[in-house]
Amino acid sequence: MSESSKGGSMEFLINAHISHELVDKPGFSLKNDTPLLESGILNSLSLLKLVVFLEKQFGVVVPADELVPDNFKTIDVICAYLRSKQGR
Amino acid sequence: MRFGFLRAEFIVYHFIIVPLVAFLPAYFAYGVAIRRGDFRCWLDKSSREEITYVLERVLGGQLSPEERTRVVRDFFRLRSCETVDAMRLAGSGRSLARLVKMRGLEHIEAALAAGKGAILCSAHFGSVNCSFSLLGSLGFPVTLVARWSYEDDHSFPILRFFDRLERNKPVVHHLDHPNIRRGNFGVAVEAANVLRRDELIVILLDHIVTAADRAQPVEIDFLNGQASMLPGVITIAQITGAPVLISFMRRAADWRHQVLEISPPMPVEGDTVTAFRRCLAVVDAAIRRDPAHWRPWKLSHLVKMGLLPAEGTRFPVQSEEESIRV
Repeated sequence: MSESSKGGSMEFLINAHISHELVDKPGFSLKNDTPLLESGILNSLSLLKLVVFLEKQFGVVVPADELVPDNFKTIDVICAYLRSKQGR
Repeated sequence: MRFGFLRAEFIVYHFIIVPLVAFLPAYFAYGVAIRRGDFRCWLDKSSREEITYVLERVLGGQLSPEERTRVVRDFFRLRSCETVDAMRLAGSGRSLARLVKMRGLEHIEAALAAGKGAILCSAHFGSVNCSFSLLGSLGFPVTLVARWSYEDDHSFPILRFFDRLERNKPVVHHLDHPNIRRGNFGVAVEAANVLRRDELIVILLDHIVTAADRAQPVEIDFLNGQASMLPGVITIAQITGAPVLISFMRRAADWRHQVLEISPPMPVEGDTVTAFRRCLAVVDAAIRRDPAHWRPWKLSHLVKMGLLPAEGTRFPVQSEEESIRV
């Protein structure tokens, strides 16, 4: 796990990745509690890109049974999910 | 009355005649199938006219009226033969496998040897589901990304039951892995996980995009029109590094033998839509070469793909499960 992935910067890194790599709209700003699914920011393919990023950045593996909307609702939820995995 | 008779004929053929004749010598089993296809073509006037109409609308002058009539007849014959194919997959699948010549298996072997899995693409073309099952019977680890019509909530329970019996059970018989259901929240990640295990993902490129797919379709040139398609397969290939191969199973003129052809890897570098367009051009060419092999020559499918308008036709746009059964 990289240093930058610890603590509050986890939210920052994920937010930056989604805003710049997955959405890529000039001036787009994303809050950590913005619903990612309802707003259409995350779909099947952008979720794949996000999971690849999370696995590479935070050294976790997301198994199929944990690929549920409940774990990817918002950036805050994603971070809580990642922390729970890192804590195991 | 007529609709009930068509349905009764369908059930008698699929669940009585085919189980009785499928394991008899192939010339007899497929001989029965093509005669049933001719009978069904005569009996099902509405489908016959609808297929003729959409062929004319989509392919235009590519087919003369005589060729169109032959394609429609062959369409019914092929669907009847495909039911025999599915039945011959029972057990080890050898009854069907000995009638199928496979070309290009080395491309799958080379892809798996490289350790990144492979994405095998095809279309609703001929006995496509049986072809995947045959690969499974050879020991290739195959996972389908698909949505079966019996899974749709709107289909009648009896149709769901027959669909499961006729389509799903035989064709997934030789696949060790459960399908990945198209439209699942994490379908692309699940597919990528299969590829990471150095296995095969199979997917049909010409499926209808629905709201459940949760993705933005793009307009692609296809069959003289613009079809709404999802190029996600290319994105998955680019992210995972898995090669994309294209396969088609074609029936020979004797109606018994088939050739399963698997292409070398398609180029997927660069722009996603351009790479997808290249793959779809291969599908387009295959359909133009053997139009009767393509199953979706029905108004409902082509309207949903965006190739034909729903208005201005004398045929009702039927639901999916009504439109495919012949």
